[in-house]
Amino acid sequence: MSGVHEVLEPGAAPSPRRPRSVGERATAVRAWVRGAWDVVVLEAKQRLRSRGWYIMLAIWFALIAIVTWLTWAAWEAQHAVSRRYADYTPAGPLPSAGPGSMIFEAVLAFVMFFALVVSPALSANAVNGDRAQGTLAILQASLLRPGQILAGKLVAAWFAALAFLVAASPFLIIGVAAGGLSPGYIAVSLLMLAVELGVVSAIGTALSALAGRPLFSIVVTYLVVAMLCIGTLIAFGFGVALSRGTVEANSPSYATLSHPAVPGPSFAPSTGPSLAPSPGYSSNLKVTPAPMQGPPSYTCVGSLIDQPAVHTERVAWILSMNPFLVVADAIPYPDRSESSVPYPQGAIETMSQGARAAIAGPEATTPCANGKPKPAYLVQRTPLWPLGLGLQLLLAGGLLWGARQALVTPARRLARGTRVA
Amino acid sequence: MGDVRGIASRGLARSFGAVHAVVGMDFDAQAGQVTALVGPNGAGKTTLLLMLASLLAPDAGTIRIDGFDPAVDRDDVRRRVGWMPDTLGVWESLTAREILVQVGRFYRLGGQEAAKRAGELLDLVHLGDFAHQPARVLSRGQQQRLSLARALIHRPTTLLLDEPASGLDPASRVELRGTLRRVAADGCTVVVSSHILSELDEIADAVVFVSGGRTVRSQVVDAPPGGRRYALEALDLGSARALLGELGVEFGDEDGRRPRLSFVVATDDDAARLLRELVTGGVAVTAFAPAGGVIEETYLGLGADER
Repeated sequence: MSGVHEVLEPGAAPSPRRPRSVGERATAVRAWVRGAWDVVVLEAKQRLRSRGWYIMLAIWFALIAIVTWLTWAAWEAQHAVSRRYADYTPAGPLPSAGPGSMIFEAVLAFVMFFALVVSPALSANAVNGDRAQGTLAILQASLLRPGQILAGKLVAAWFAALAFLVAASPFLIIGVAAGGLSPGYIAVSLLMLAVELGVVSAIGTALSALAGRPLFSIVVTYLVVAMLCIGTLIAFGFGVALSRGTVEANSPSYATLSHPAVPGPSFAPSTGPSLAPSPGYSSNLKVTPAPMQGPPSYTCVGSLIDQPAVHTERVAWILSMNPFLVVADAIPYPDRSESSVPYPQGAIETMSQGARAAIAGPEATTPCANGKPKPAYLVQRTPLWPLGLGLQLLLAGGLLWGARQALVTPARRLARGTRVA
Repeated sequence: MGDVRGIASRGLARSFGAVHAVVGMDFDAQAGQVTALVGPNGAGKTTLLLMLASLLAPDAGTIRIDGFDPAVDRDDVRRRVGWMPDTLGVWESLTAREILVQVGRFYRLGGQEAAKRAGELLDLVHLGDFAHQPARVLSRGQQQRLSLARALIHRPTTLLLDEPASGLDPASRVELRGTLRRVAADGCTVVVSSHILSELDEIADAVVFVSGGRTVRSQVVDAPPGGRRYALEALDLGSARALLGELGVEFGDEDGRRPRLSFVVATDDDAARLLRELVTGGVAVTAFAPAGGVIEETYLGLGADER
């Protein structure tokens, strides 16, 4: 059998898998993408023709419509009360951002929540479902590479999830328009939602290749999503409890200030960030505190001593993996330290500010840490979401790598209880 | 590459955990012939075919398909092998034509070429009328034919069929037989696994018997060793007995719906001579034919069924 390689055509002699020149490499990449796209087309045809998918889309559309309407009605009712109340108060009606930011935030949160519920179901049977049907082995026996099969299935699952986002987008646009928010706002939030759905789809698709049965991979994908959404909060909570330490600080003094009635530091996150933003929209209706412009309204006196503090910056990376936080933190908002109301506006900003305070740690948030007064409004321009998204991508990437190994043929090892065909 | 056509594999072994599906198999198949792979359930037929289709790596042994090793020249092997699994594997929402075109693309056929080939194959397996039906509405037999067409989409030189006849009605089986003979006549190496032995007699040029993960016997169908058993029916079996005794033929009485005598004949020439002598000797012969299929006889003679 040693003569086998002599019968190869001369052109085929150098291994075709290692293209030398840049041009050849580009051609190989294009061929790879074309093959993966063929898988996407196959999957899309399969999905688009199932009636269940359209029924789910219709239910989804109706659900988001109801949520949007309810949010608007709730705001309307609140607003009516405060308007009536305002007639009897000398201050007049409260300055309000209008319903827009509130409706947008509520709808965005719901869309994201439901999308995270739907997308595991759309992705986590992509590979093992096909294995059960006997169609996976046909793909594996063709000239497709394992990576192409996996990528095609991932993209198809992602597209299916994006369809839900597209169906929800009219309501997000309504929310943005009603509140006079900028179009950039919705562009960023939709983009980040799409990216998060991609992460969940990747996790689902990878798990479906690793697990023998669809039921198992779907449940595990849900658990991973729950871990990211809720588990990160719990883990961060425990992490905070375990990261007690000290920070060098002296004492704030308000003696020389003209507004002694308003103790500045009580507004600054002193022991750690305010994490769970109390149902955010209420911040629009809160009584506005006395304006505090410019530098902090206190001075730092006394000698520096070690004061107990919580080093949230050590565990903030756990928090950063939260999909809601990644989206909220990525949405841009203005620096409000120069504003007449130096506090975050709405739930999205509050979440972002809270998380950024956590990553900044007690050095930045404890009043008079290192003897320097801290502004009431934390200016932390370094965003948190790239870290969170990076960690999510690392998780998804690791799972996808394992999934690719599971699809390599000729197969050496098979998962227990599975058959090639 | 005309010099090393066909399948040659030696000493194949493959186990799944504690289960030794294939222990020691040698399997050869000639180009232009139909080779039957025969054995009881669990003998390792499907595992062998998966290894030949480059889906499973053998634990030990070598495989050459037209001279290519699946472990090394995977793409060369895949371009040459068409594989039809026993699970069929159809995409239910796609139409018959779409499945063929789509799979053609996975073998890097151009769009037009894939469409043209799909049309040809739909005609070949008589599914032209169902080209635009979703695969879900096709009967099992139709799905089986579609699966065969799918395995042929990239003009393979080697066709591996796992139980292609199961679930087919008699007419479809006859048709499958014809199709496979035509494919083999075009120079393709055709491997058919089955346990319906009478089926294989009609189409197989060679048979490989496997049992318990081992090759038990390989043989060419046309030359059965030790002759074939023939059965004789006549209006008067008594005169037939007398004449056979005179000619020195050892015979036995067969139990069956109709009384018949059976005896072993070494070659086809011997059979023809014996029949002539019986007729000229005045025996009113009503039937004179092989008692069973060659493959069936060999199979039963091997005692391969380990129940």
